[in-house]
Amino acid sequence: MTGSHNKTLAEKSIKGRTTGQFRCLYCFERVIPPKNATEYTCTKCGYAWRIWWFSPNEPRIRGPVWEKHEKLSREKMAEKGGA
Amino acid sequence: MSMNRKIAYINLTTREIKTENIPEKIRRLYLGGRGLDNYLLYNHVSPNIDPLSSENVAIISAGLLVGTLASASSRTHVAAKSPLTGFIGSANVGGFFGPEMRQAGFDHLVIKGKSEKPVYLYLNNGKIEIRDASNLWGKDSCLTQTMIQKELNDTDVKSLCIGQAGENLVRYACIRTSVKNAAGRTGIGAVWGSKNLKAVAAKGTMNIKIAHAMEALEYNKKIIDQIVSAKVSKTMQKLGTLFIWGATNSTGLVRTRNFQLNQLTNADDVEPESIEEELVGTAGCFGCQIHCRGKYIIKHGKYKGTYDEGPEYTSLGAFASEVGCTSKNTVLVGNHLVNYYGLDTLETGSMISWAMELYEKGILTKKDTNGLDLTWGNDETVIKLIHMIANREGLGDILAEGPIRAADIIGKDSLKYQIHVKGMSNLHSDERPTPALALNVAVSSRGSDHLRGRPAIDLYHLPEKFLKKIYGNPVPYDGPLTSDYRDYEGKPWQVIWQEICYEAVDCLGICKFHTVFLGPNMPAFDEWTKLIYFNTGMEFTAKEIWDVGDRGYTMERLFNIREGLNRSHDNLVDPYFDEPVPLGLPVVRGKFIDRDKFKIMLDQYYELHGWDENGVPKPETLEKLSLNNEPSGLL
Amino acid sequence: MEKILVIDSEKCTGCRICEQVCSVWHEKVVNTYRSRIKIVKWEMTGEFLPMVCRQCDNAPCVQVCPMEAISKDSDTGLVSVNYDKCIGCLMCISICPFGAMSYDFIDNKVMKCDFCDGKPQCVRFCDAQAIQFKEKSNTNKDAMQTAAEQVRKAATSINK
Repeated sequence: MTGSHNKTLAEKSIKGRTTGQFRCLYCFERVIPPKNATEYTCTKCGYAWRIWWFSPNEPRIRGPVWEKHEKLSREKMAEKGGA
Repeated sequence: MSMNRKIAYINLTTREIKTENIPEKIRRLYLGGRGLDNYLLYNHVSPNIDPLSSENVAIISAGLLVGTLASASSRTHVAAKSPLTGFIGSANVGGFFGPEMRQAGFDHLVIKGKSEKPVYLYLNNGKIEIRDASNLWGKDSCLTQTMIQKELNDTDVKSLCIGQAGENLVRYACIRTSVKNAAGRTGIGAVWGSKNLKAVAAKGTMNIKIAHAMEALEYNKKIIDQIVSAKVSKTMQKLGTLFIWGATNSTGLVRTRNFQLNQLTNADDVEPESIEEELVGTAGCFGCQIHCRGKYIIKHGKYKGTYDEGPEYTSLGAFASEVGCTSKNTVLVGNHLVNYYGLDTLETGSMISWAMELYEKGILTKKDTNGLDLTWGNDETVIKLIHMIANREGLGDILAEGPIRAADIIGKDSLKYQIHVKGMSNLHSDERPTPALALNVAVSSRGSDHLRGRPAIDLYHLPEKFLKKIYGNPVPYDGPLTSDYRDYEGKPWQVIWQEICYEAVDCLGICKFHTVFLGPNMPAFDEWTKLIYFNTGMEFTAKEIWDVGDRGYTMERLFNIREGLNRSHDNLVDPYFDEPVPLGLPVVRGKFIDRDKFKIMLDQYYELHGWDENGVPKPETLEKLSLNNEPSGLL
Repeated sequence: MEKILVIDSEKCTGCRICEQVCSVWHEKVVNTYRSRIKIVKWEMTGEFLPMVCRQCDNAPCVQVCPMEAISKDSDTGLVSVNYDKCIGCLMCISICPFGAMSYDFIDNKVMKCDFCDGKPQCVRFCDAQAIQFKEKSNTNKDAMQTAAEQVRKAATSINK
């Protein structure tokens, strides 16, 4: 039984791995930023992200571009008595 | 076969040691590791004992596949009745101790009684020695390990130990090994401390026979390729678990300022990518190619030049977002100190941030803190409090008691500000927009916890078809599953599936980063059938492994029920229901947990587990899992 | 074509999978003390160094063996033990400057790296690429390339 080589779900998935793209955390669209870009605005939803490349070909989201989205955050922080 | 490792019963009061074989029948029911620990706890811990008395039982174990060719088969499990929650105490740790313990001939140690003087155990090729630890008492968790190696004149000796926090009975002291590995949660370090047990050391040169060696080698290679090719693994190889903080903080799912906020904004210095700049490399546990432990040397301040490893998600949460600090040096120093003293970093950060909120609200004043300024973001105070907790000085003595007891001592409205489940603090994440994750922390057997059943991949917005493939195997599931992490539909099943998956992986002794936790395409039940067969020669179907997981998790439930747990304990604190999250992406902002829907989720969760409406396993469920005669006293 | 195991200690994560797979390949068991490669660790400072036979040109073990049981293959560069000739005097262990010749206490014989029939398992399993199997004439290439890239970068920034 266990000796047979029916591929498991996880084993099959190895071929479908993608590089060079990340998923927008807001709309979940897969987007491909230009190489070495440090900021990228999602083409689908318009959310602006800061990008970090953990390898020359693989980007990931570092965080939101705070200035563009987080006026509200600052107001809330101030409300709560913080910096 | 490789499974001829023994169980040893060690009585520290009488100094009696007895070793036995583990019957295959027991193996088939519990595999090993956490599963068998649960069995031993239920059979050897009398109900309603004081966790810090000699009646408690400290258990140490290696999972069934520890040391074998099963990628990251490094995990050691520790258990006892928890001095923090009064329910099950259970924690898991990587490093190198587990494989060494198996090479020394042992799989499970059941430690009873209390030694008159500090002692440590030394396991060596089938023998166990109780040795004097007077000179180790008072030493930190790294020095202790080095001193044991020196005493035994062998740098290959690996130890589990407690630091000063465990000696001082801090109710969330952990068990430590290597530079940073910690069996962190539920305060088992305090149990060891109460027994005057400073450490357990092992060195062994006994073969672990691999049943089908060449097949195991090839299959291990295949599994490793599959794991390291995943993007999540490549990210972890750089950032460790810090990456989770980055991703969830971007969305607004990070617990900040003791649950007042859900995002730490404009804090570039403590973002994972910034901490990565401090890393001088990464280190791995036994056999692991993800090597998620960052190596760093502190650059500034009093601890300049100190080497440590980490920090992980939890230390970043504890010493940055929770306490409102935005300096990475504080995170690095804080992480070092909890390792040094042997404190659970999560609980430490939560207790400090709770005290800070009490200070903000005026419940604690400068008079109570002996002049210490507990304003949010006060780096110096945070570091000072870590010392004070570990050494039980001043306010630290109160905070060392854990959420419920500390609130009892401080009184007033202080309990209202505790973010805990079953008396254990919540992870530094905010689950208000994510019902699946919220249900997980509410029902977790060892108190609020993400490592018992968090369906973390629920955040990935995976297609329903794909979710069905994962969550419909190895037992069929026809109910709903939804891609949206804000939904309540189908989430109870995801939590149960993950609970059983994590239980099984802990029985095997494989790291959770090598199963469906952070990556959806990671090995699980199907792959484990092959790993078990090639390594041990035992044939298990995926469903049988599932049953082992189910049995283990239900056993934890039985233990908790015997200690007085009921439905009211499977709950979240009020802010989850009453205070919408103020920050984050527009899709999460304003979200909170709906009380009625939460109740429905909890009903479904019990139903799917085969438990009644009070959360008690039904007789037919116990019979199905062969648990109807517990405690059965087979070991 | 002589090949050798090239070690880059900076890449080593100390996971010891090399020790694990080495013992399985040779002995069909996991026993890290029967591995031909060993990671020497300074654990509390996070330093790891894999130690393994260097297949020396002027190998002291070859010279010291009174039975001429150890020889170096001029083709592959591999230094190997002929167990039919070996009398177990352990002089080779005493003289090896790297401690790379070791003793298998279960089979009672000396043991050393044999390149696993030309496919070293430690190399195959080391995802961090801390151990590589390279032609001797190529061992300096990576270091040269890395240095060259640094010089190039510096030169470019100066010229700007």
